[in-house]
Amino acid sequence: MKPVRFIAGALLTITGLAPLSAQTGTVRGHVTSSDGGPIAGATLTITGHRTLTSSDGSYVINGVAAGSDSVRARIIGYAPQAKAVTLQGGDTATVDFALTAQAVALAEVVVQGYGTQAAGDLTTATKQINDSQFNPGAVVSPQNLIENKVAGVQVIDNNDPGGGLSIRIRGASSVNASAEPLYVVDGVPLGTGSGGGLSGGRDPLNFLNPDDIASITILKDAAATAIYGANASNGVVLITTKTGTAPGTTQVQYGGSFSSSSITRVPSMLNAAQFKAAVNTYYPAKAGLLGNANTDWFPLISQTGTGMQQNVSLAGAGANNGYRLSFGYLKQNGVIQASSTERISLGLNYDQRLFNNFIDMQASLKGSRALDNYTPGGVLSNAAQMGPTQPVFDPTTPTGYANWVPLTLNSADNPVEILTTSLDHASTYRSIGNLKTHVDFSRWPALQGLTGTVNLAYDVTQVDHVSFFPNNIHAQTRNGNDGSYFRTQPYQLNELLEMYLDYQPPVSLGPGALDFTGGYSYSQSHADFPSVSANQLFTNLLADNGLPQTANPPVQADFIDDAKLISFFGRAGYNINDRYLASVSLRHDGSSRFAASHQWGDFPAVSLGWRISQEPFLSSVTAISDLKLRGSWGKTGNQSIGNYLGSSSFQPCDSKGEVQFGNDALGKPIFMCPFRPSAVDPNIQWESTTTWDFGADYSLLGSFLSGSVDYYSKHTDNLIFTVPVAAGSNLSNFVTTNIGTMSNKGFELDLTARLMDRPGLSWTVSANAAHNVNEILSVNPNVTAATQVLTGGIAGGVGSTIQVLEPGQPINSFFVCQQAYSSGKPVEGKYVPQVTGDTSTTCSLGHNTRAFHDPAPHWIFGLTNTMTYRHFDFSFTLRAWLGNYVYNNVGSNLGNYIQLSYGAPFNLQSSVLQTGFKTQQLLSDFYVEDGSFLRMDNIAVGYSFPFQGRQIRAYMVVQNAFTITGYSGVDPTSGLNGIDNNIYPRSRMFTGGLDVKF
Amino acid sequence: MSNSETLVNRTLGKRSGNMFTARAKAFSITAVLAVIAAVACTDPTVAPKSTIAPGTFFGSDPNAYAEFLAKVYGGLAVGGQQGGDGSTDIQGIDGGFSQYLRLYWELEELPTDEAVIAWGDQDLPDLNTQTWNPGNRFSTAMYYRIFFQVAMANEFLRQTTDDSLNARGVPAAKQTTIHQYRAEARFLRALSYWHGVDLFGNIPLVTEAQPLGAVAPQQATRAQVFNFIVTELQAIKSQLPMPSTQVYGRATQAAADMLLAELYLNDSVYTGTANYAGALAQASAVISSYGYTLASNYFSNFSATNNNSPEMIFAIPEDGVHTQTFGSTNFLIHASCGGSMDKNTYGVDGCWYGLRMKPSAHDLYATGDTRANAFYTPGQTIGITSISNFNAGIPNPKYSNVGGSNPQFADTDYPMFRLAEAYLIYAEAEVRGGGGDTTTALSYVNALRLRAFNGDSTKMVNNSQMTLPFLLAERGRELMWEARRRTDLVRFGDFSGGNYLWAWKGKNPVGSDSIGVATAPHLDLYPLPASELIANPNLKQNPGY
Repeated sequence: MKPVRFIAGALLTITGLAPLSAQTGTVRGHVTSSDGGPIAGATLTITGHRTLTSSDGSYVINGVAAGSDSVRARIIGYAPQAKAVTLQGGDTATVDFALTAQAVALAEVVVQGYGTQAAGDLTTATKQINDSQFNPGAVVSPQNLIENKVAGVQVIDNNDPGGGLSIRIRGASSVNASAEPLYVVDGVPLGTGSGGGLSGGRDPLNFLNPDDIASITILKDAAATAIYGANASNGVVLITTKTGTAPGTTQVQYGGSFSSSSITRVPSMLNAAQFKAAVNTYYPAKAGLLGNANTDWFPLISQTGTGMQQNVSLAGAGANNGYRLSFGYLKQNGVIQASSTERISLGLNYDQRLFNNFIDMQASLKGSRALDNYTPGGVLSNAAQMGPTQPVFDPTTPTGYANWVPLTLNSADNPVEILTTSLDHASTYRSIGNLKTHVDFSRWPALQGLTGTVNLAYDVTQVDHVSFFPNNIHAQTRNGNDGSYFRTQPYQLNELLEMYLDYQPPVSLGPGALDFTGGYSYSQSHADFPSVSANQLFTNLLADNGLPQTANPPVQADFIDDAKLISFFGRAGYNINDRYLASVSLRHDGSSRFAASHQWGDFPAVSLGWRISQEPFLSSVTAISDLKLRGSWGKTGNQSIGNYLGSSSFQPCDSKGEVQFGNDALGKPIFMCPFRPSAVDPNIQWESTTTWDFGADYSLLGSFLSGSVDYYSKHTDNLIFTVPVAAGSNLSNFVTTNIGTMSNKGFELDLTARLMDRPGLSWTVSANAAHNVNEILSVNPNVTAATQVLTGGIAGGVGSTIQVLEPGQPINSFFVCQQAYSSGKPVEGKYVPQVTGDTSTTCSLGHNTRAFHDPAPHWIFGLTNTMTYRHFDFSFTLRAWLGNYVYNNVGSNLGNYIQLSYGAPFNLQSSVLQTGFKTQQLLSDFYVEDGSFLRMDNIAVGYSFPFQGRQIRAYMVVQNAFTITGYSGVDPTSGLNGIDNNIYPRSRMFTGGLDVKF
Repeated sequence: MSNSETLVNRTLGKRSGNMFTARAKAFSITAVLAVIAAVACTDPTVAPKSTIAPGTFFGSDPNAYAEFLAKVYGGLAVGGQQGGDGSTDIQGIDGGFSQYLRLYWELEELPTDEAVIAWGDQDLPDLNTQTWNPGNRFSTAMYYRIFFQVAMANEFLRQTTDDSLNARGVPAAKQTTIHQYRAEARFLRALSYWHGVDLFGNIPLVTEAQPLGAVAPQQATRAQVFNFIVTELQAIKSQLPMPSTQVYGRATQAAADMLLAELYLNDSVYTGTANYAGALAQASAVISSYGYTLASNYFSNFSATNNNSPEMIFAIPEDGVHTQTFGSTNFLIHASCGGSMDKNTYGVDGCWYGLRMKPSAHDLYATGDTRANAFYTPGQTIGITSISNFNAGIPNPKYSNVGGSNPQFADTDYPMFRLAEAYLIYAEAEVRGGGGDTTTALSYVNALRLRAFNGDSTKMVNNSQMTLPFLLAERGRELMWEARRRTDLVRFGDFSGGNYLWAWKGKNPVGSDSIGVATAPHLDLYPLPASELIANPNLKQNPGY
């Protein structure tokens, strides 16, 4: 007991409170809403004392002075109440409250970093989407659930079933490829990069079954994210999974659906007649190679993609525990043959409260196995390039598939041959789990209001990715590989320990209430990347099952990557009657990714809120139900860079990269393994983003209209990027370094209108709009004096780039020449001169090239319409992007007649009929197209009805119903950087399903 | 529940010594331990595991200095740290494409009267016809390759100063070896700087004196870089080993002499002041000081066992098992094969259908010249109607991997310097007035002719026949496809311009008209890479681009 008493004594001394005396009593009770449900987090005050209700709505106030007083219960969103109480010394009085709801939305519990907050008390730009608002249909990846739902959040998918997704919150804060937000699942940060996992499978976040997710919260401004410091520059996505039900209940749920999808658009290539005509006109010498078939290659490699999902969950709770157990199965076939994803997932959340809520232990385990099949490499590009005059089959070849004759020609390959003979697949096992132990010290009066949390977590991933190309297919014999086998089995383990204390002083300090959070976090990551590759396979019989004898010994490689992040963090909040709100936070992060002298960074934030609607001068304005003005400032970091970039290290060779280093005394060669020092910038330091945010949360005319508006300004310093450096100045021609500064400015509008809300009929429309302006402010790598950095690799030439980072221009602006036209037709090789005094009309990198448009949308709109009528529900989601540009790389690469000059002619993209280009004009702005579009993302119709005591909902969903765009290529949204090159085509999907609650 | 709660309240208010005492103690202890653990874990430093920190490398690896020097050599032999040019040294371009010798060969041969390549890779056809622009990725990659070599050599020199070696406690005997390594690194740097001034003209001069990664280097003049190379070679020659089997493939005094001979031979191009006497003296030193002799069979210089050739002065060793690259001789052997040629005849696993001679190269050879014995004519035409058609033009598969250890990767070493060229340099320098004596010059040239014509003395030349045009042609015949032609044609004033026209010179590489035309004089130099002008604003582009 002594240590506790000592601490208690110390605290009491510090806070200057009178010691407990015998003339005190205890007040206890429950706070519920008028419908009887417990209210957690309500504030109870009585002279000199303050406490909060726990999750079951109960509260205890000890040490209340004897006599008459009044207890006040208050929580935002409900009308406050006061009740008189009279206490004798040593008494315990019970005072219960049933609060009347005013604006329940304000009381909604919003998840934030290391805690929760009532929505009405938020001082940051935070938006939470709960499961009832998620996008419907066959959703493989969790990110798709919130697509179009949050202003300023851009979700970019790549169409592949379950394929990698990127999220950009308020534009790109980083030029680095991984400008992805930090994902935090049930309080466990998933490390840096997309989903914090390995990309051996498809999207790393696919291990999470969307059906297990209760809510997704987007932290947009720095005041919300700065508590995550070093990883927070690109925003934070908090994912909370479903837990047990109300005490004493058990619920079994089943959900199943079947889907079918088909291709919407493929690249526009010449047909057989056009192809033949082009060859005869431009390269008649090749005409003799042409066959007489009329083959449209894309239908031969595509399919109707079927899919299904089955989810079963069991949830329940006892008096002191709660649990949810879930099982999910998903299979989704892609619209290109041989592509599919299949996932089995298991989830368990268990919550046990011990010793009368003294300790609350929450365990969460998620595990999944994903089997991903990929369309083998080269199928899509060859479907575009293979001659339409060539047949599919030829019984005389080893595989039975036709190819150009003679087989040795430099040519495209039969895509169907590759598709049917080759394999590319991966299995991914990923599990994350954590045990969060929450201790409430309130039972000791001296420690009342103090809670402690220890969170121990792991995140483990094991991937096995194999690809196999047989030795007798044309693609392999032509390039001399003669069969290829590649297998990689990366493994990653992340471990996390977090400890933090939360203190809400049990007394009123001044007019408002304070709370403090402070903690320590230690995380480490270990990854191992073994691989083996081989070619010149002696047999195909083992296929992907093993490695046969090879003419050339297989190459094995392994690489181990370790990283560490150590953090101290703290936050203080101040709340005066839910009217004046303030919060400050600070995080101190140390990252292994920087050289010793630059390891530590500080990330502070401040935010203020004013619920102006509480002021007397607005109380008469009944139209304003709630209005809160917010302002915040904060600084966040980005350390999503490779490891070991802060100091040079030596990389050894592999067994086939040795170098002869003279001969020994017997004349036998000495083979030495060369060691290469890496090129690094030893002064590389934190990339940091400073964000200002001014916003308002409003609720008008009751809750008829509600939402928020925000203006933000983000300034990123010390952008980290891998850039070409002046030759000779470092140990390679590219170095990862701090290259400059960038700004993002914009505003966002969220609006929800409850147009109708009556029994049996409701109609809600939610709309959001976001405008973002990005600008590179300076490019000044400290290793060079360059003012431009080239980015955006394209197909059509080894090492070609199409984009630039240039001061005054948006990030990754296209860097192209202005095409000259004559009679509306582009003139080959002729460009508009860009430099005064230089009349040269040629185009090459650095000559007549200029920054021209950028791939990011300047406006993003989302609209969700939801209606219910009796048993029916109906919803749709529309999305529009304006001002995003796309580089049509299929056109620039293949839309020219020189493609016919190869050993065997390549097929041409049909823009050649319009341009007549004889050679590639890769840098022509002709290929930079406006990608603005309007898309009906989903339409859903459902029918709900009770059946033998079960609640059943049957539904139909169409996803990607239609797109209206002027873009001529496959998909204006594909590709993060607006480069459209043989991308996986988008599909339209129909889903029918059934949900049953037992 | 209520019992324990009451108990708690009472306990905490009044008394001590129950179940919570033990628990509180346990918890306090746990908390204290956790705090200690936390305080202990405040160092985020993580050492790399799969790469080696410099301290560990130089401190614990007895071969560290040799392994680092091997990288400077290896930069010429392989495109990256892994066989097949994986983990490539320079980024932004495929490792095999960017292999040093492959790029050097392509830039020296394709724009001349000697070779064409059929492939349509972006910017490659432009090399066939002198129609490149500053964005050409082959000249760009070569530029970065040269400076990668310079950077590696510079870093080796920084890591091996006497101060560094003493600080690491390197024993004196080993320091002596490292001193020789330093001379070798300086030789390799000089070699790449030679390629740099020859191909690009005014380039930055970066040495170990400049700190790593600090600032963009300034441009030096061609003459400044030339003088630096000459001074360096003179300074290090005595520190280099004499040629022997033990130092095969490594820099020797002979290699230094030969490199000086090359530099002096082209002095008029590099600095505007000829120094044929210097060229003659250095060639003479190469010929007389080291015991090299002509191989009896010309083709033994280009075979899988060419390491045994007695005329090899400096070779870049390749090996089908240990040193695997898609560049160097492996590229030359594969790319020279196509049409109806049998891959087995050349010891490779397949043909790449790339390289043939331009008609003018084919026409250099007289009947009976065995140096033409590798020419493959069935199904091939001498004329080239279409560059992309492998059957147009005669392939010259003089490099071979027959008897090699691996048909996918050649054992054939790349012949950078061989004695025959020293003979030709002597002769040319003599004819150009660099001193020496005519009899000796004639004897050297005729030694090559006798070997070429199987000892047929009627093919020997006399003094009046040994003219400069003859020597240019003879260099073409003897050194065909050995990456000297562009430099030779520039020295003779025949590369750009209209003095000498050959098929496809100056024409559209994908057109059908092969009649050569005069080209602009600025093409004697490759452009500095467009991307480099952006990365290093200190640079001024070569005139005409």
